[in-house]
Amino acid sequence: MKAVISPADAGQCARALADAASARTTLRIEGGGTKAYIGDGGATDAVLSTRLIAGIVDHVPADLTVTVRGGTALSLLQRTLAAAGQFLPLDPPCAERATIGGVIAANSNGFGRVRYGGVRDALIGTTVALTDGTLAHAGSRVVKNVAGYDLNKLFAGSLGTLGVIVEATLKVLPLPRATAIAEVRVAGAADAFAIADALLRTPLRPTALVVDAEGGAWRLLVAADGERPIVERAMLEVARRAEDVAGVVERSDGSEAMLAPLRDLTSRATNGAVVRAAVPLAATGAYAENATRREAVSRVVADAGSGIVRVHVRGEEAGVIAAAEALVAAARIVGGSAHIERREPALRERLRAWPTPPPAASLMRRLKDAFDPNAILEPGRSAIG
Amino acid sequence: MSVAAGPVRAGLRGRDLARGLLALFPADQVLLQHDDLLLYEYDGAVDTAMPDAVVLPHDTGDVAKVVRFCAEHGVPIVPRGAGTGLSGGAIPVEGGVVLSFARMSRIIEIDVPNQRAVVQPGLVNLHLSTAVAPHGLYFVPDPSSQKACTIGGNVAENSGGPHTLAYGVTTNHVTGLEVVLSDGTVQRFGGKALETDGYDLVGAFIGSEGTLGIVTEITVKLTPLPEDKRTILAAFHTMDDASDAVSAIIAAGVVPSAMEMMDALATEAVEASVGAGYPLDAGGILLLEVDGVREGLDDARERIETICRERGAFLIRVAATTLERDRLWAGRKGAFAAMGRLSPEYYVQDGVIPRTKLPEILRHITAVGQRYGLRVANVFHAGDGNLHPLILFSGSGGEAELERVRAAGLEILSACVDAGGSITGEHGVGMEKNCYMPIQFTPDDLAAMARVKRAFDPTGLANPGKLFPTPSRCREFAFGARKLDA
Repeated sequence: MKAVISPADAGQCARALADAASARTTLRIEGGGTKAYIGDGGATDAVLSTRLIAGIVDHVPADLTVTVRGGTALSLLQRTLAAAGQFLPLDPPCAERATIGGVIAANSNGFGRVRYGGVRDALIGTTVALTDGTLAHAGSRVVKNVAGYDLNKLFAGSLGTLGVIVEATLKVLPLPRATAIAEVRVAGAADAFAIADALLRTPLRPTALVVDAEGGAWRLLVAADGERPIVERAMLEVARRAEDVAGVVERSDGSEAMLAPLRDLTSRATNGAVVRAAVPLAATGAYAENATRREAVSRVVADAGSGIVRVHVRGEEAGVIAAAEALVAAARIVGGSAHIERREPALRERLRAWPTPPPAASLMRRLKDAFDPNAILEPGRSAIG
Repeated sequence: MSVAAGPVRAGLRGRDLARGLLALFPADQVLLQHDDLLLYEYDGAVDTAMPDAVVLPHDTGDVAKVVRFCAEHGVPIVPRGAGTGLSGGAIPVEGGVVLSFARMSRIIEIDVPNQRAVVQPGLVNLHLSTAVAPHGLYFVPDPSSQKACTIGGNVAENSGGPHTLAYGVTTNHVTGLEVVLSDGTVQRFGGKALETDGYDLVGAFIGSEGTLGIVTEITVKLTPLPEDKRTILAAFHTMDDASDAVSAIIAAGVVPSAMEMMDALATEAVEASVGAGYPLDAGGILLLEVDGVREGLDDARERIETICRERGAFLIRVAATTLERDRLWAGRKGAFAAMGRLSPEYYVQDGVIPRTKLPEILRHITAVGQRYGLRVANVFHAGDGNLHPLILFSGSGGEAELERVRAAGLEILSACVDAGGSITGEHGVGMEKNCYMPIQFTPDDLAAMARVKRAFDPTGLANPGKLFPTPSRCREFAFGARKLDA
């Protein structure tokens, strides 16, 4: 059985990394284990779990910040903040089990990004354990800080390849006084994205703009939160625009129940493959519509507010691979990028997670070498190997 | 301790450098005369240094060409926008070539469907918002110098402004960069999409103050203009009352788009200079703004007014017209310039504290001023705890007076860090605060930053002498290394 190292605190974590580096023991870094499917990483010599490096370090509500250890479950953090009338404006998939360190490392965002920004926007300070056994702080505990390089950005989305996030400070917000969600069933992609686009051009700032296509049925979900009159106005505007295209609108107050299954598309996709594309806003509609026309595509979930599109491809192997490769290429053609976020184990050899190196890959490799010269952290996990 | 990249080579200078540059560029793109170079020895801060030459590139190709030349000949390279920086970022402290972006100031593309614009680094910040306003859009970061400062400079410094409380700073509004590294290679980070595969090099680069490379093209987010705004002036008897109001507003769940504070001394200067209509009998003034959709604005305004009254505001005025709003803002945005009314010279600090610590830090600043016999005016972004104490001095007291000013400034910054904050919120480290970095960061923290520096800039020629403590200039600052959260 593979060794699992579970350091009890940040200092132990840094020492464990230094030991692994000198022994050239390759490590997988694990938080809640909700995103183990990402990347092309194979087996490592050991697993380093952050589960014991947990707990809330500091929360001063009037400062709108919270400092929390990397292994803390996001759900626990949200419950603590809610008790003080606040929330962390991140709604990643698998929020019940995911840890804050894992959410940051995977740059794991939800649909709220259109309104609140993503991990990179909420994160203002990090402490990272490095492979030389040191602990490096970046940023600070205040909402505004330009002293030194913004290493927070480098660690967000680095997938554990540069170091282990042992502590983070994030911006939080007051809980909204009202929330609502509208489901608009429409005839096709054009109507769904036209409504979404019109809403994006207003200062309404919806908290989710999601288009879901499955089995030929198209629907748009629009969530809004804030002061009651603002939420009412948003719902009114959705209804008015839906009327223009003869869409059927259903309103409810339970945003979470409607959005969670869409957010968790990848974690629920145990067969076939999920392609995740990031395309320019205006290209999102056409990309999603074209995706639904392909063989083997079973569902498309497009965040029309941020240009992130997930496509679930299922069926016999050759068809899945052909569709996935075509979807990756299509994202590039419109000025975006795409990768295979998840695929069933049988496909791992023939369908690489990151089909081609990203632009500026050589610079990224220099950064990787600078932080992890012995290449012990998460081999194969990220876009640069 | 120095953690900066390797020592800068002596490099080409004088006639050889001139000959080399003139072989690459027409004479109207190269400045070499002493009188011309004098215009490039200063920026908005206090330090000065002469460049050996100034090159005015027309495009990315020109930038790559001069950077390659500098790399071959060991010449430092320092980018410069409008020279409004407040930490000496554009000062060629080790000599070398200053790259002026005056002729790379075009908007390359306004992409309304994608809510993006692609611009050259020399574009003036305000010009972008003006150009996209007919489309109902604007560029959010609005530093007080927005009529002059450039977007390339905003990227280098990760600039903020009064409206960053709700909407974030430059890094939250940039999705793509084209960058020339110090080896002369042209790199593209990000684009119009929100994400790219691999590391977030856009995020790592923004705020690097020219020390990681030179930005030659920027893709920015454009944001729909708010439908309406409410701008509120609240006058308090004391700064303590005004600070309490700030915390109470946040605690009540209201997040205004701006929350600016000014003390009596700053108010006096502004009224003498701009005449913004601020009451001269106030001990502390708050300028607040809420914006967004019409519905809800008056509710937010009423809640703010109620809280301010409860905390002792004796006067509350709401701008009824755009003209009135502009006048209120003119006072705030013109505050630094107005200091001339009070004092020949001033030194502005940029420390940040958690906003709940405002009352105690303001008392501390007053005490420091008294101890050093210096007047200090305060005008700052209260909502995000970003202080701007303006230390007033005569400028005729020589090095002794300057030393006193610097010492007072350092005490204030140390107190900010002790309160859990930062030495700079938006002005940058540059050559003004690089010796102070060890009060906020441990040697290990700085070593991690140095790894990034070496990966981007192995030659060490990208704006040397900035951001990191240098052994030559920082010897007298023998701070014990302290942990940020110790």
